[in-house]
Amino acid sequence: MSKSKSKKAEAIFCISPFANPIVPADHLFGVTDHVDTFTKQICEVIVGKNQAVKLAVACLLARGHLLIEDIPGVGKTTLSQALARSLALAFQRIQFTSDLLPADILGNSIFDRGKQCFVFHRGPLFSQVVLIDEVNRATAKTQSALLEAMEEHRISIDGVTYELPEPFFVIATQNPQHAVGTFPLPESQLDRFLMRIELGVPDRASERAMLLGMDRREMLKELKPVIGPQTLVEIQDHVRKVYASTALLDYLQDLLDASRQRHSTGLSPRAGLALLHASQAWALMHGRDMVLPEDIQAVGIAVMAHRLGHDIEQPGQSGRTLADNLLHSVPVP
Amino acid sequence: MSKSKRDRSIPRWPLLWLAAALLFTLPPMFGSLATWVPCLFLLTLALKFWMEPKGYRLRFAALKLILAALALAAIFVSYGSLNGIESGVSLLVVLMSLKVLEAHTAREFQVMVMMGWVLCLCGFFLSQDFGIALCLLTAFALLLVALIQFHRGSSPGAFWPPLGTTCKLLAQAAPLVILLFLLFPRINTSFRFEFRAIRSASSGFSDRLSPGSIAALANSSDIAFRAEFPGSKTRPPGPMYWRGVVMWHCEGWEWRAPYTPAPVSQSSKLGGPGGRALPGQSPSGKAIRQRITIAPHGAHWMFALDRPFEIPPGAMLARGNYLWSVQPIRKARRYEVISSPEVGVNELTPHERQLALELPASISPAVRELAQSWVAQGSNPRATVNNALQFFRTHGFRYSLSPGEYKKNDLDQFLFHRRTGFCEHYAASFATLMRLAGVPARVVVGYLGGEYNDLGRFFLVRQADTHAWCEVWLPDSGWTRVDPTGVVAPGRASLDLNSFLERRIASGQMESRRNAFVTQLARSAIFTNIRLGWETLNYEWDTRLLGFDADVQEVLLESIGTASRGPLFLITEILVVVSALLVIYFGWMQLRTRSRVDRLKALYERFCRKAARLGVRRDPWEGPSDFSMRAAQLLPNESERIRQISNAYIALRYAPEPGSIILDSFAKEVSAFEAHRR
Repeated sequence: MSKSKSKKAEAIFCISPFANPIVPADHLFGVTDHVDTFTKQICEVIVGKNQAVKLAVACLLARGHLLIEDIPGVGKTTLSQALARSLALAFQRIQFTSDLLPADILGNSIFDRGKQCFVFHRGPLFSQVVLIDEVNRATAKTQSALLEAMEEHRISIDGVTYELPEPFFVIATQNPQHAVGTFPLPESQLDRFLMRIELGVPDRASERAMLLGMDRREMLKELKPVIGPQTLVEIQDHVRKVYASTALLDYLQDLLDASRQRHSTGLSPRAGLALLHASQAWALMHGRDMVLPEDIQAVGIAVMAHRLGHDIEQPGQSGRTLADNLLHSVPVP
Repeated sequence: MSKSKRDRSIPRWPLLWLAAALLFTLPPMFGSLATWVPCLFLLTLALKFWMEPKGYRLRFAALKLILAALALAAIFVSYGSLNGIESGVSLLVVLMSLKVLEAHTAREFQVMVMMGWVLCLCGFFLSQDFGIALCLLTAFALLLVALIQFHRGSSPGAFWPPLGTTCKLLAQAAPLVILLFLLFPRINTSFRFEFRAIRSASSGFSDRLSPGSIAALANSSDIAFRAEFPGSKTRPPGPMYWRGVVMWHCEGWEWRAPYTPAPVSQSSKLGGPGGRALPGQSPSGKAIRQRITIAPHGAHWMFALDRPFEIPPGAMLARGNYLWSVQPIRKARRYEVISSPEVGVNELTPHERQLALELPASISPAVRELAQSWVAQGSNPRATVNNALQFFRTHGFRYSLSPGEYKKNDLDQFLFHRRTGFCEHYAASFATLMRLAGVPARVVVGYLGGEYNDLGRFFLVRQADTHAWCEVWLPDSGWTRVDPTGVVAPGRASLDLNSFLERRIASGQMESRRNAFVTQLARSAIFTNIRLGWETLNYEWDTRLLGFDADVQEVLLESIGTASRGPLFLITEILVVVSALLVIYFGWMQLRTRSRVDRLKALYERFCRKAARLGVRRDPWEGPSDFSMRAAQLLPNESERIRQISNAYIALRYAPEPGSIILDSFAKEVSAFEAHRR
């Protein structure tokens, strides 16, 4: 304990900032390496989408849930499966449909003849990584059933509360709002997702590599778990300890204030926390023990876009544009 | 914790600092604790330096327990109890010694430093001397250095910075220390906590005067008391006879003071106990006001110039016009007293006359005959006294520090054969002879002379200056001082004993016991000045710091306008003041941090302006890292410098703990940025 303390003190006194570029804090080396391996493995499967993959990983490390929105066939499901398999976590996949009921995902009580009582059968949500495919195909009723699970990491049924396993990570995919037969997620539901990312069509070279390469399904089967549940929890704890200086918090709050002034649905305090945690994860992934404004800017669109997209005063604007405008107008103090 | 980490040895430098600090805690222990205790401490310190590089240390719990038990037993044997200050401090020192042998982890090092601080505190229990206080202060500071050095780790060249940090910390603490010293409520409790048994040897005299009892003190350098004369810039002229105790009871050649002195009888009383002289009788012309700081001696004696008439509170004027403290003096005490050499008692009550003529039957006929021979020559008491003095002057009496042993009450031996003695021999025999001749007489014991310190304007009176003289009753002038020693050793009356002896050695009248060179050196002007300066400092320490008790504090508080309304009120007041100060301090710190941030921002903006002049303009929303990368790309020649500046800015602005040194170097780097290009 005291040894590491004295070492840190020494580092402050002895290392001039002019001698080296920003040195990753040496106690972070192990963590960053781990995360790097993990990210690279997923990038091998999802070719040409490095930024999106990194955001997804950051979301995971920040203990947030991830929403992937895009047209069918760009690799949403593949990405979520690659994430789950590389984590060595219990994985469940739920396909949402318009006739899906809350009991189908949470579980239900069935009368046991032998024991003469109701026995609760756990639904597919009792897992560590849950992939919800086409989350906006289900009705609002079913979508709302997710709320408690995602925020509180527990489920209450028939007056009994069941704790969900840790870590708990929801990856949901959805088709764009204009697709046929969709029920748009309510704002409260959207706010539960730390990030919304878009994959988009790959560029030509990446697509060629994909066409030439192995079958994605085969690749998924061969993926080896890189991070165990215990390690993941440790890394997630590390993320919360990444230092955010007063100057950075000033910038963060400037962003929040600006969004509230310009839009009828400004960013909520929860959105502020999301922004902070996501940028902490981003900083850690880049080997820093402090958050820079650049980290906020890197995760900013993914964190803010889906929260800003409901502005009734600016109906034409997508959330993405609004977030981008925000980042390009609020000065770094 | 891994084994290697557990067994990590304590770095050398902090250990050296710690050892130095602990050495400075030793001085108060020598002389007050059993000698083996500090010796053991020294030994273990030395042992530690031998053991540490080899990785040896006290490891086994059983051995530690046995050693601790042995130490406990040794202390019990040395002091006869585990109770009391000395044995308590000894226990702490011994356990600290064992800890030194055992310690090897960082935590234990810190424990040692803490215990070192406790030892500093304990040193004050043992002695409150000024020199000791300096030692302990040094030890305190060195412990701080050791701790700082230890936490810095062993980076090279880290020798001076911890010292600087320590000085800074101490300087920062100083105002608080002074404030607490002045304002922290002191409470005069009625119970007495005896820090240390007062050694009887330090007391100059007992209530008994026997031949040789004062000569035994001639080499003592212990301080009896110090006296200053408020309102007077110079010492009073004439011999300084400090009156201590008056002995009424003659037992042949030995004299004794009354066990419990009677107060001055009503008719001859001059000063009331309230410290007020009776009107009309105050001999204001020659009155000498003295402020005396007396060293604790455990008895009731108090001293004043011959003869006191206005007495301090807590004292009474005993029969024979001397001061007598109501309580034994167990801690240093300061009092004011007014004396006048002209105070005389005009009346001798029959009881006093009887007391002053009482004689034992055991006196030999030869001595009686001698006394009678003086009376026969004239009935005037004054003539009798002069005859007696003449006898001492002309019959080859010698003044000597070491007159040799006399048999008990062997007045004949002294008067007719050896004729060698010190002041008590002369005073006692003279008074006895006077009584034999029918002149009422008594012996006064006190101090004669003392060294006047011109620097601090005070008299320093040591035990060596103890003196005995006589008073005889003469019908026309009352009790009159007669000092027979002055007859055999002319000049003693105007000097303190040491100067007198030195003078005699110089004139060849006495053999010196010391090396002539050392004596010469000690008498040289520079050493005399250093000694006087040191004594003045000591006096200031004793009177201003140690003497700052509840009464003095109250006077101070009243003088700054805080009427004292009890300790509770004082504590509340202090709390309010302290919290106000804390608020101001934190406000100031906040301001400083803010200004630091502002300066940093201004510097970075300057850098951005300079970069813009070179063609790379930073967008307001652009983060420092992004901007540095873009600028470095656009200005490849400056890329290294830009990267360095940006990294420093990032470290200062966003890192958890930027060093304060970096800001200045950052400022230099920024100002060098464009200048370098030109």
